[in-house]
Amino acid sequence: MTRGSKMLAISLAILFLIPAIAVAGAAKTVTLWYPAGDITAGAAHFADKTLFTDFESKYNVKVEAVALDYDTMQQKIFAAAAGKNIADILFVDDSWMPGFLKEEMLEPVADAKAKAWLDAVSPEIKELSDYGKGRMWGYVQYGIDVYGLTWNKDQFREVGLDPEKPPKTWDEFREYAKKLVKRDAQGNITRVGYAIRHVGQPHGIVHKHFWAIYGAGAALVDDHRTLRGGKTLINTPGGKAALQLVLDMLDVDKSTSLNFPDPRAAFLRGIASMQISETVSIRARQPKEAPDLKWGMALPPVPKAGDKPATNLGGWLYTVPKLAKNKAQAWQLIEWLNSPEKDFELCKKYNASPRYKVNWEKEPFKSDPYDQGLKQLYPYGIKLPINLGFNGIMEATGNAIQKVWHHEASVDAALAEAERLANKSIADATK
Amino acid sequence: MISERRRSPRQVLARLHSRHVLHAYLFIAPVIVLFGIFRVAPSIQTLLYSFYKVELLRGRFTFIGLENFYSLLTDEIFRKATVNTLTYVTTIVPISAFLGLILAVLFNAKFHLKEFFKAVYFSPMVTSTVAAAMVWWWMYNPQFGIFNVLLKLVGVPEQPWLMSSHMALPSIIIFSVWKNLGYNMIIYLAGLQAIPQQFYEAATIDGAGALRRFRHITIPLLAPTTTFLLIYDTILALQVFDQVFVLTGGGPAGSTNVVVLDLYRQAFERYNFGYAAAEAMVLFLFIMAVTILQYYYSKRYEVAY
Repeated sequence: MTRGSKMLAISLAILFLIPAIAVAGAAKTVTLWYPAGDITAGAAHFADKTLFTDFESKYNVKVEAVALDYDTMQQKIFAAAAGKNIADILFVDDSWMPGFLKEEMLEPVADAKAKAWLDAVSPEIKELSDYGKGRMWGYVQYGIDVYGLTWNKDQFREVGLDPEKPPKTWDEFREYAKKLVKRDAQGNITRVGYAIRHVGQPHGIVHKHFWAIYGAGAALVDDHRTLRGGKTLINTPGGKAALQLVLDMLDVDKSTSLNFPDPRAAFLRGIASMQISETVSIRARQPKEAPDLKWGMALPPVPKAGDKPATNLGGWLYTVPKLAKNKAQAWQLIEWLNSPEKDFELCKKYNASPRYKVNWEKEPFKSDPYDQGLKQLYPYGIKLPINLGFNGIMEATGNAIQKVWHHEASVDAALAEAERLANKSIADATK
Repeated sequence: MISERRRSPRQVLARLHSRHVLHAYLFIAPVIVLFGIFRVAPSIQTLLYSFYKVELLRGRFTFIGLENFYSLLTDEIFRKATVNTLTYVTTIVPISAFLGLILAVLFNAKFHLKEFFKAVYFSPMVTSTVAAAMVWWWMYNPQFGIFNVLLKLVGVPEQPWLMSSHMALPSIIIFSVWKNLGYNMIIYLAGLQAIPQQFYEAATIDGAGALRRFRHITIPLLAPTTTFLLIYDTILALQVFDQVFVLTGGGPAGSTNVVVLDLYRQAFERYNFGYAAAEAMVLFLFIMAVTILQYYYSKRYEVAY
């Protein structure tokens, strides 16, 4: 072989090897799907282009965060899973979890890692993370949703109510709402004392009335931590009282109205004096949408003095689907993003409440009035059921609430139907 | 003459070749293949799914015969969705056809800015249903929507529109009429312009007034157009989804839940693909029955000039 031929052979070999070397050395891309817009304050950091820079350079992994429309995100995830072309990390609403678990779609968190997380985080995060006996299917994001009563302090003052004293019992709540309602010359309500959610997805309707259902002793299912079986406790005296409360406010007190369907928007626009929903959302939206609004936050009222308050606790989770192509890198990214250091850094930057016990001991969380206010609500927070028939239970209950408030059915008839449909859904899911 | 039976396959092929039959099939083959892949195959798959319990992610298919269909018979939500769909169809189809005909007759005359107004009436048809529905959602808003502002101006009490279980379906129907009217108008206009003028001239000479000419010439001679529109509008109306999804999501209290929305929920929110497929098959049979009925009925009104 001549020297020239040798050189040619070597050059050709190098040429052949270049693509292989390039492929081997190229960064893997980890995809992450999250909801677009301000659906959850916990997704705000994904808009930051530099969020993953350190991780990408440290682990030679490229992160691609893709925003999806919230309303159809659950369906897109399922369709993508069915098509076996899904993201490596799914940032999901915890109310979607039963549906995903029913389809055995998610990877569990390794037992040792789950134990370490549950030991390190605050009780409410532990409650949201634990799917029974320390089993975890994902890591809960900071800034969890705890529902609370929020009220407009100026409007309280305007009608002679103490702006620092929210209603504590249902009777007080009704009285306050009656005082706060405003009408025009024709008698049309221009401001409601309390805004109710009664349209849209049944899930959302149940979320916003959860406090009354559970406060009165009813429940969506008898055991929140059971995946299969059980029965609903919605058609009970408590459930009936919870629906009747708002029905009386609509028909007897006329302190609320069906014409104010988005409680948070109505509250921020000043056309609702009280509402009960995610406090984290009011906290995030108020500076932009209602900078002059002075508002307070407290536990939802209870049926009578001495009753234990109840409110719902929800959150978003980082999960890894079984069909993810880069599982190892996905878990690596999740663990990096959910480390105590990142938790502190991101919560401080985005005004969110942290997850780690150790971070609650640090400023600004230690003395921030909003964060400390949340701590008063957390102990009464109840996580949504993880029952595999969850979607059917929520649909049945949401429809019952709508039927009663829209005068389509009596409380008894609506709840009897809801009970039947919810129990059928539970039974179907166990098959 | 040699019969087809006596010809060899080679002769048959040669004959088809000479008549360009093969070329014709070749030209339409891409469409047939794509139609087969994206329409026929999924339809067959849906038919098969309707007899199974389908667990798509686990790849598990359990044959359950007609169980999905039996369940549909006792499913109150599906029954209500069917009633809502039929209410929607039986309202929107005649209203759209009637208003389309009126507009077409008006636009058949000559007047200033006719083409501009025609475009205005047709524009909703070329607008995205979802985008238009979002705008209408705001127009229906009880506090800030233009409809209540207008009602207030004329002293009529404000209405809850989409917030009321009694008014939500009529509100969706109003939107759908607005959306479809332009299409019906254009089709009727084409039908009107195809009617030979001598019929009208003869009737006028015989002393028939405008109304009699409309009743005895226009309406009968537009029968094929009307039939086409009734079939087309009925099929589309039975499949209503977008505007319901955006405007009400099926509520309040299931008052606007329709069959396609229900099957979408069964499939993509409760992951009951077999059950959703059964709902789709019932809808398909319904559409087919209506189409066949209308088709045979329309034969009575066939016209030839």
